Amino acid sequence: MIRLENVTKRFSEKTAVDGLTLEVPEGEVCVLIGPSGCGKTTTLRMVNRLIEPTSGRILVNGRDVMSMRPEELRRGLGYVIQSIGLFPHLTVAENIGVVPRLLGWEKPRIADRARELLSLVGLEPDSYLRAYPRQLSGGEAQRVGVARALAADPPVLLMDEPFGAVDPLNRERLQAEFGRIQRELHKTVVFVTHDIDEAIRLADRVAIMRDGRLQQYDTPENVLNRPANKFVHDFVGADRALKRLVRIKVTEVMRPAPQAAIDDAPEAMRERAGAGRFVYLTDDEGRLAGWLDTDDIRDDAVADAITTVDRLQATVARDASLRDALSRMLGLGFRSIAVTDDEGRIMGEVTFAAIEAVMSEAEEHRGPTADGEGA
Amino acid sequence: MKHPTRIRWAVIAVALVGFALLVSAEGMWRDLLGALFPDYRTVVHPRGTLVDFTLEHLALVGVSSALTIAVGVPLGIWVTRRSGREFRPLVSAGVDLGQTFPPVAVLALAMPVLGFGFWPTIVALFLYGLFPVVSGTIAGIESVPPAVTEAAVGMGMSRWQVLARVELPLAARVIMAGVRTSVAINIGTATVGAAIGTGGLGVPIIGGLAVQNMAYVLQGAIPAALLAVLADALLAQAEEGLGVATG
Amino acid sequence: MTDSTASPTRFDRVALTGALVTLVGAAVLPFVELRANRLVPGSGHSLAAAGPWAFVVWGVIALAFVSAVGPSAKARSAASTAGAYGLVAAIAWALGAAAEGLLADMSPVARVSVGGGAWVMLVGAAILGFAGAEERSRFVVRRAGPVVLLVVAVAGALVSGGLDRISLAREFAVRQEQFVSLILGHLAITGASLAAGAAIGVPLGLLAARNRRVRGVALAVTGVIETIPSLALLGLLVVPLAALGAAVPWLRDLGVRGIGPAPGFIALALYSLLPVVRNTYVGLTSVDAAAIDAGRGMGMSRRQLLFRVELPLAAPLVMEGLRVAAVLLTGIATLTVFAGARTLGILIFEGLGQFAPDLILLGALPTIALAVIADIGMSALARAVTPRGVRVAVQTPAPTFAEEAAA
Ligand SMILES: Nc1ncnc2c1ncn2[C@@H]1O[C@H](COP(=O)(O)OP(=O)(O)OP(=O)(O)O)[C@@H](O)[C@H]1O
Ligand SMILES: [Mg+2]
Repeated sequence: MIRLENVTKRFSEKTAVDGLTLEVPEGEVCVLIGPSGCGKTTTLRMVNRLIEPTSGRILVNGRDVMSMRPEELRRGLGYVIQSIGLFPHLTVAENIGVVPRLLGWEKPRIADRARELLSLVGLEPDSYLRAYPRQLSGGEAQRVGVARALAADPPVLLMDEPFGAVDPLNRERLQAEFGRIQRELHKTVVFVTHDIDEAIRLADRVAIMRDGRLQQYDTPENVLNRPANKFVHDFVGADRALKRLVRIKVTEVMRPAPQAAIDDAPEAMRERAGAGRFVYLTDDEGRLAGWLDTDDIRDDAVADAITTVDRLQATVARDASLRDALSRMLGLGFRSIAVTDDEGRIMGEVTFAAIEAVMSEAEEHRGPTADGEGA
Repeated sequence: MKHPTRIRWAVIAVALVGFALLVSAEGMWRDLLGALFPDYRTVVHPRGTLVDFTLEHLALVGVSSALTIAVGVPLGIWVTRRSGREFRPLVSAGVDLGQTFPPVAVLALAMPVLGFGFWPTIVALFLYGLFPVVSGTIAGIESVPPAVTEAAVGMGMSRWQVLARVELPLAARVIMAGVRTSVAINIGTATVGAAIGTGGLGVPIIGGLAVQNMAYVLQGAIPAALLAVLADALLAQAEEGLGVATG
Repeated sequence: MTDSTASPTRFDRVALTGALVTLVGAAVLPFVELRANRLVPGSGHSLAAAGPWAFVVWGVIALAFVSAVGPSAKARSAASTAGAYGLVAAIAWALGAAAEGLLADMSPVARVSVGGGAWVMLVGAAILGFAGAEERSRFVVRRAGPVVLLVVAVAGALVSGGLDRISLAREFAVRQEQFVSLILGHLAITGASLAAGAAIGVPLGLLAARNRRVRGVALAVTGVIETIPSLALLGLLVVPLAALGAAVPWLRDLGVRGIGPAPGFIALALYSLLPVVRNTYVGLTSVDAAAIDAGRGMGMSRRQLLFRVELPLAAPLVMEGLRVAAVLLTGIATLTVFAGARTLGILIFEGLGQFAPDLILLGALPTIALAVIADIGMSALARAVTPRGVRVAVQTPAPTFAEEAAA
């Protein structure tokens, strides 16, 4: 658990952080976000005392950080910096082993730990352990940076724009991976970013800052639905409704979908559709093969109304968000899309109408301050 | 930025005048050294006045450095042109190797090959001075980003125009740094020229050390040190000025 | 490596230059000089003085020309390398033969020395060897190749006795004992002052990297020292040391005297400061700020940060500073003889004083060799202390210029 109590940091003239009070409950991800220069990095670095606050108190697990030796404090806090900062003269394994070595672990334990962490961040240990940082791509280096921060299994992680230097595609992959790791490890995380989508995707709570002051500290849903003031409202952007979809999993609005096996008799297929228009057709392993559009059936020629599709293109996975589903549907021109489980079997479907319903429901929740500002 | 530069030029000008006065104030040297070393019978070197030594020194350095620049800069440019590029590795390697040769050894070698006197010394100083000038010129021209020269070509400049208007102005500062190194080495090596009979400020130093007359030593060493520091400051200032001119 | 048959030039202009230089040296300048004794000026003699060996030399020169126009780059490279080694060997043997022939009916004090033409031919051979090595584009070969070439040739000639009658060899034979002790003296004063310079310069560079005021003063002062002519600095040190030694007898007993090894040692140590301080400073300040930040953030103490992150990453630049200093000091050490130190400078300046070219060569050539050896040795050392992760990879050989031009 991390608590900041009325923390202020002044650099000669400039007040970088101004009376900040913030509590990050154990096991939660707190994302600090705000425009450049609003004091995010300063806040983060005060937690591990790379910067010392001008006034106020910072507690980590109930202990005032100022009462601890800085080195000792830092060894217990995993730290990922934006520019990664891998040591160029050390191998990946040695980089990961830095803190364990400082803590006096034995060699075999450090080696095992490096392997374990590389697998955790999705890098094949045998091909990366002996590599040097300059041989890594940006995304790989970021993963090693995260692995290094996790090395001594610190309960707290401080991450300053850890995915800032990666291209959008890899960033999404890393975010997904971070989500998975966090579900596994339950660290207390302070995560700095300037990417609102990243914040909404990863945060349990979002802290929005401006000029060193906290504007709103709340769940992503509430930040989206009830922005505390005009600044937050504008910062979140006009596409709040769309962003909200990021937080909702397809499984939450999924409904059962009519299915038939692709080698069923035409009559049986048609029967399955019932009152609906479409029937999903599956192969013998229950995976999507195509569908039957009952409106297209002319003169009982059922076979002509069957469309076969590329399974991976025309479905979304169960852990996808509504936003993913929506963009896939828009891209394909569908009004509904099948949701598949880990084996690729159809679990149900998400319809355009269901997404619309979620969006309008949220619109009704709009906070009073945002009202009348004509988004 | 203009103001401090001008002040520094003024300081250097004053220092130069001061230096000229210092070496021409013979009476002062006689009195000062006489007071410092009361036991010595003579305190100023008998072979000439300090002005003579300084002028000899300046002649050696001036002529050799002028030759060095006149040959070294074009040579450096040539090996970065298409016509000379094949020779660039050879010239670079030669220059690198040459710079590891001690200047005194090169000066000494000039004697068996070229003989004694002013001109052989000039040739040795000139040859040795080439190394930093050539390597500075190559480094300067190669420090110009390819995108810049490409843009210049794209704007329709001829090869000569690219060289004269883009490459040389951008390389000027690094070339000047090479010249500065070269001159500093020449001033230092020219003091050793006294051992080959070419005069200069080395005469009282070497003479003084040989006969254990510390007054002679000081009479040569102080102006030689001042001359070197002054020349270096002057060239450093010129180098900086070129940097300002090109941004 | 691709055969650069696509190259527009069908011959190797660099090798051709080497061959031409050799030709000019052989045809125009005296190959050897014959002197009635070691001090009088000599008369030049052409390559013909070497008798039948002259034909061998001419033959190798012809081969050098052929090597420049060979059918493929690979063939040209092999031929010019062979030509270079062949030339050096042929020149060495021809020198021996010429000396033999010219001295046959002369008095025993007569001497034959290496003429300007032979020196120029050796330069041509080096260019030729370079042209051959370049195609292999290996850094070490390119840099050390010509030196190895010379050492091998000279050693071979000395061992075989072919050069015994060349005056340089005779000068060496006469002064062998002194020569060895002077080389040792040279190495001792250079090594000791370099060690002292490193012991002061590295911590000073460290302080400069930590403290802006120290940086300003340290870089300015060492910079001024560096510009002062060595002879002047030596003079400026001799005077106060002489006074100090005269005033404080126990200091004089320790070696603090105007004339002796002390002023030379101090001057050399002072000269080593600029490269060492500057490179240490630059090395430490150019360590990636993110790496330092990461180290601090992970809980390294200042000591740990210095020894585990900063110094390993700065080591190559520090070593580079020591290399520059070593080369510099090797040369300046010759001048310390004026203040009473015993180095190879004694041979050089005695030679200059007596107008004895052989003596000058005997001092100057080894000095140059020591500087080149120091350069190569320290480069190798710098490479050895460079952490593998930051070493520049030489995975694919860089394209040669012919290939680039063709592209
Ligand atoms: N060491 C310092 N000295 C003076 N001012 C500083 C220092 N560090 C930060 N600041 C100032 O404090 C303010 C907050 O800086 P901080 O680095 O925390 O911003 P940030 O929110 O992380 O911005 P970014 O998104 O650009 O990284 C900025 O205006 C910055 O200029
Ligand atoms: Mg920041």
